[in-house]
Amino acid sequence: MPLGRREFLKAAGWIAAGGAASACSPLHAEWARQAQTGPSWPVPTSSAFGVLQRLTFGPTIEEREHASSMGLEAWLEDQLAPGSIADPVADRLLRALDSLSLQAADLAAWDRQDVIAELRRSTLLRQIYSRRQLFEVMVEFWTDHFNIFIDKGDTWFLKPIDDRDVIRAHALGNFRDLLWASAHSPAMLVYLDNQANVKDAPNENYARELMELHTLGVDGGYNQLDVMELSRCLTGWTVRDHLWKGEFIFRSETHDDGWKEVLGLQVQPAGRLEAEDLIEMLATHPSTAEHLARKLVRRFIREDLEGQGETVSRVARVFLETRGDIASTLRALLLDSGRPLPTAPKFKRPLNFVVSSLRMLGAQTDAGPGLQQHLAAMGQLPFAWVTPDGPSDEAGPWKGGLMPRWQFAMDLTAGKIKGTRLPLDDWLEVVGPRTSSEMIDGMGMILLGDVPDSNTKAALEAVASDAAWPGRVPEVVAGMLASPDFQWR
Amino acid sequence: MSYPVTRRTFLQSLAAVPLVALPRLQAAWPAWMPRLAFAPPHAGPRGDVLVVVFLRGAADALNMVVPHGEAAYYRHRPTLAVPRPDDRRVAAGLRAVDLDGFFGWHPALRPLLPAWDAGHLAVIHACGGPDESRSHFQAMELMERGLADVRGPASGWIARHLASLDTGNSSPLRAVGLGEMIPHSLRGAVPVTALRSIADFHLGGDLTAAQRMQLTLATLYEGEGEVQALGRETLHILNALADLDPAAYAPQDGAAYPETNYGFGLRQIAGLIKADVGLEAAALDLGGWDTHFAQGSSEGLMASLLAELAQGLAAFHADLANSMDNVILVVMTEFGRRAYENASLGTDHGHAGVMFVLGGNVEGGRVHAEWPGLEPEQLFAPGDLAVTIDYRDVLAEICLRRLNNPSIDEIFPNHTPTLRGLVRDSS
Repeated sequence: MPLGRREFLKAAGWIAAGGAASACSPLHAEWARQAQTGPSWPVPTSSAFGVLQRLTFGPTIEEREHASSMGLEAWLEDQLAPGSIADPVADRLLRALDSLSLQAADLAAWDRQDVIAELRRSTLLRQIYSRRQLFEVMVEFWTDHFNIFIDKGDTWFLKPIDDRDVIRAHALGNFRDLLWASAHSPAMLVYLDNQANVKDAPNENYARELMELHTLGVDGGYNQLDVMELSRCLTGWTVRDHLWKGEFIFRSETHDDGWKEVLGLQVQPAGRLEAEDLIEMLATHPSTAEHLARKLVRRFIREDLEGQGETVSRVARVFLETRGDIASTLRALLLDSGRPLPTAPKFKRPLNFVVSSLRMLGAQTDAGPGLQQHLAAMGQLPFAWVTPDGPSDEAGPWKGGLMPRWQFAMDLTAGKIKGTRLPLDDWLEVVGPRTSSEMIDGMGMILLGDVPDSNTKAALEAVASDAAWPGRVPEVVAGMLASPDFQWR
Repeated sequence: MSYPVTRRTFLQSLAAVPLVALPRLQAAWPAWMPRLAFAPPHAGPRGDVLVVVFLRGAADALNMVVPHGEAAYYRHRPTLAVPRPDDRRVAAGLRAVDLDGFFGWHPALRPLLPAWDAGHLAVIHACGGPDESRSHFQAMELMERGLADVRGPASGWIARHLASLDTGNSSPLRAVGLGEMIPHSLRGAVPVTALRSIADFHLGGDLTAAQRMQLTLATLYEGEGEVQALGRETLHILNALADLDPAAYAPQDGAAYPETNYGFGLRQIAGLIKADVGLEAAALDLGGWDTHFAQGSSEGLMASLLAELAQGLAAFHADLANSMDNVILVVMTEFGRRAYENASLGTDHGHAGVMFVLGGNVEGGRVHAEWPGLEPEQLFAPGDLAVTIDYRDVLAEICLRRLNNPSIDEIFPNHTPTLRGLVRDSS
């Protein structure tokens, strides 16, 4: 007999209850209540799971039920207004992290490693526990897009400010505001050497990436002369060193006040306004719209853009029509006449592999060094990407790194990750009298959105059906996390 | 990067396959059978072990191998230039180390002198690719794919080399990427696994649980699919490495690798070569070369990176002294940097770069160059060293003469290489 709906929900409830600690139990009770009125067993495997895999860091049972019961369109609208979603668990967990509310000058007095560790912890905790999942997904998208390596010069105490006042402030807002904030962000100016960009011999680093990566794209219609001229416009854009340490400042004495020509436009000398006007223009340039549309389609719909020309055009058009409104652009990307666009499976990047494991299994974690070490071994520790392109959104670089994922699956289920635990005892209580076959199917519903295929099932049965059952539950879960199917979303 | 090469353009680029046959061929291919995308591999004995070190971020060729015979070099770089070998105004340790009366090593590259003097190390100067974007990401991608523009195979050049040469080597360690990720040069044609650390490449913990997991994984990763193939490869490597004891590995002659990821990577490659586990190609990175700011001259930021680079290569050369005849190591970077220094004591993106080739059969102890000059009228707009040797000439010659692979058309499509006598023929 298959695992019944009640037991399944009970298992899900256990997982949820075990996960985010006792303070949130009323919340979970509420979700569980909503879930009882949702669609009938089995938990929907259809489009909702696939779409939610992209719009969350791995959907929990509650999120799946919730989205199914209210409909994807309504769920999306909720998520596009993150301020309207109560987020008590994440709020409580973040309260312990003092560095998040400080200014750069205060942070500069902290220990460098403490600042970096707290920013990583806060990022992971939000990805795992926040109910504003689409917001966190977009925070990740823009963090990659405006990548800043946290260990270059002063970026260690400037990036936390950028994270808060640039990326998080505008992740679902307007791209023009986001770009504007990023261009004035001391972390970005230091990371791409603009703090050293002065008249007579400009430093081209930021000006180039502003056009190549942040706006127009490498084929967006600029050339080397445009890079040189834009870098002249950006001379004098720097960061305060002493009083108001770490704040943006425009120093007119180091600004090149000659005429410039960028992208065919004559730029008359106007100090800081020269680059600001150009940033306005770049923010809503058709090449920028196209570049962002391609990146969004690659992130949310499918890696291979072949045959996606229409979608890319539609998304780019809406971006331009709304003057860079991110929520409207996402609607155009995700829904076509109210239906979700068909997505093709994407290979999970390491961060998504780890966070989806923890979310779907209801893990308790402090997101501290024990967990971060695993992400480092996989090559995707947050804020550790050195080059301004951000961690690749393609499968190619990551596919060869299965071994650290398998190690994570084993360590997680064996309780060997310091600061992280799974509610295994709770599962065992629920699984108790069940057969291994039922348990494997149930786990498949939770982790894969469906019962596992026959090959996966056979492999896991071989582990489970030993006389040691149900003592082998952790190994069955490890096997499913390590399986080919769980590497995709 | 700009856009991924589609399967269609990928196929069209394979001149060897008649276009009319494509639809049928394409339909017959399983999802993961990339070898079949190539002409039947050429069968032949394996050549040298290929090691590629990629300097990420565009290393400043002009301060690595210094054209001290050029007055213009000193005019363009009033604060960054490395002093002439005979410049008595500065301490000897801060001057360029003369190589041939015109070029000299940056002083931090001094550890390379034993390999240079042994004739095992060659420099190829003013070389690079035709791409003029000055974008790190586009330049790296093209170089690792072995192409002049984005239309062409999506796979990497080393991957195509391996796919087009059947050496009868079924080792799962035929190719590895050292680190957490697979560099593009190794992607897309044969399964390649990321090997961060031999010592850590195991399932850990309780031995019986690890063994059960291994058996489970073997079943889980049965069947078709690229990830399945990579999973099986990973399990094979697990077995192949089980007999190695990396803790006991002692480099020959006390060769001292730098205590960095790069040094650790080179040391592991040397260990795999000596253990004779079937390694044919390995790739690793050394990053941090994007020196727009405070690059330094004889000392400073870049000098310490150069010291790391040189110490690693010197250790590798000493450690593999008995195997050098069967090893070919290439150092490359996506492009060079502007001839003129900027006001931040750094250099911006330029054009031509430099390559090193290390091995027992290299025409070494020489700077191979068609020197374009650094006078303003000789510079390539907006003030860059011109490219006079295509990087594919260097790599193609290595493929032909050291790796026994004649399928240059597949590895570097649409490029007819000029052979420049950089390495001796293995036959």
